[in-house]
Amino acid sequence: MPTAARTYWLTSPCRIRRKDQSLIIERENADNVHIPITDVRDIVACAEVDINTSVVSLLNRHRINVHLLSYYGDYAGSLLTSETSTSGETVLAQARTAEDPKASMEIARSIVDSCAFNVRRVVDRKLLARPYKVLQESIGGARSPEQLMGAEGTFRRSAWEVVDTKLPDWLQLGGRSRRPPKNAGNAFISYVNGITYARLLTAVRLTPLHSGIAFLHSSMERQRHSLVLDLSEMFKPLFAERLMLRMAGRNQLKEHHFDRESNQAMLAEAGRKLVVQTVRDEFAVTVAHRSLGRSVAYDELLYLDALALTRHCLEGAPYKPFRIWW
Amino acid sequence: MIDAEDVGGVHIKYLYHCRRQLWLYVRGIRPEHLSATVQLGEAVHDASYTRNTPVDLEAARLDFIDGAHWVHEIKSSSRPSPADQAQGRHYCHRLRRVGIEAQGAVLHYPKTRRTQRFPYTPQAEAQAEADIAEVLAVATSPASPDRLARSACRGCSFTDYCWTE
Ligand code: SF4
Repeated sequence: MPTAARTYWLTSPCRIRRKDQSLIIERENADNVHIPITDVRDIVACAEVDINTSVVSLLNRHRINVHLLSYYGDYAGSLLTSETSTSGETVLAQARTAEDPKASMEIARSIVDSCAFNVRRVVDRKLLARPYKVLQESIGGARSPEQLMGAEGTFRRSAWEVVDTKLPDWLQLGGRSRRPPKNAGNAFISYVNGITYARLLTAVRLTPLHSGIAFLHSSMERQRHSLVLDLSEMFKPLFAERLMLRMAGRNQLKEHHFDRESNQAMLAEAGRKLVVQTVRDEFAVTVAHRSLGRSVAYDELLYLDALALTRHCLEGAPYKPFRIWW
Repeated sequence: MIDAEDVGGVHIKYLYHCRRQLWLYVRGIRPEHLSATVQLGEAVHDASYTRNTPVDLEAARLDFIDGAHWVHEIKSSSRPSPADQAQGRHYCHRLRRVGIEAQGAVLHYPKTRRTQRFPYTPQAEAQAEADIAEVLAVATSPASPDRLARSACRGCSFTDYCWTE
């Protein structure tokens, strides 16, 4: 796909300076890199960055967001440009949908269903057939987002157990743990989820939707963009679980890719580079889109899903959250 | 949401191309984000419509006004369309509103080396006003206009929005 602007992934500590209409990336043990501002669509900083006001104003003028992943690989926050595509009419339509208990539960339910569908698809269709059926039954009877989340949690636990059977001992999760992740497996999942979240935030901000009005997660949850949390659900398995199983299966992930202490773990620099590279390549993978009749990159799928939700809010068109169809 | 003063060349173009496109545009669905060739997150120029623009002449790709007050526009397409003509008419209308006695529009099609002249007659003026009223009617309608036939959507930068299932 022809495009001038691209995402820049910063994987080692650096300082960003401004020179006219260019960014200069200064790294400690490497040459400076000059990037014309028009080449940048957004920046994902996976390592410490220093940034100053004149850089921020240049980024702002060009609507470039910077996403920051913390030391532990968790999503830490973003420098978002002040201009959004939000439109009053559309936000009102979104708010009306979110306020209508029936309409918003329907969205929340289909998000949870699609998420589990995708988990099952990438982890193990046979072994998760029964938990998936149980999930579908319980979300059918769920009365609140909390009950939906509960059902999802139960399903997820079964799925993590199955995932563990396919991983080498040292990479096994032993249940999900975050902030800080308690072992290598969890560190990997958190890291990839953080990247997915950042990409979705960019996607949502290109739509006229408000990133703080959500359907499954409670709005304004922990200062996060709760709509982005909603939409990440379906995509996390496509990247996190799927890549983890693949990289483990191909023996690409090694113990030395992680720094581990007694009760916490994180990706080491080499591991971070490998994971970022892999995820980045994965975003560029394309697949034939059925209704659009052309091929789309995985990256674009995130945006298309946010658009489908926009259309649902604005026009009442049915919203079917993303499901892996290939 | 939008009033007569906000109506710009883009709105007029969309009105003629597809009413649904116009309806979506005023609700923040932006073609520069949707176009398949513009990938996710690409930095875009500030071409989007903002309410604060007093007269939307910037977005009007008004290439030049000659000494005799004819508005010249250079079109990248090869075939003249009613939308081009309507846009030219709209700019003349806008210019008259700010006191410039526009005489009409000259549309240039470099690809086919064609040039078309449309004098700004009283009829043209009435039509320009009717177009603005029509833009407002479509924009404020609570229900979205239907999609065009799929084949008519070819090449439209809103296809991703309209046709993702
Ligand atoms: S895709 Fe078709 S229906 Fe949608 S705005 Fe374009 S022309 Fe109109």
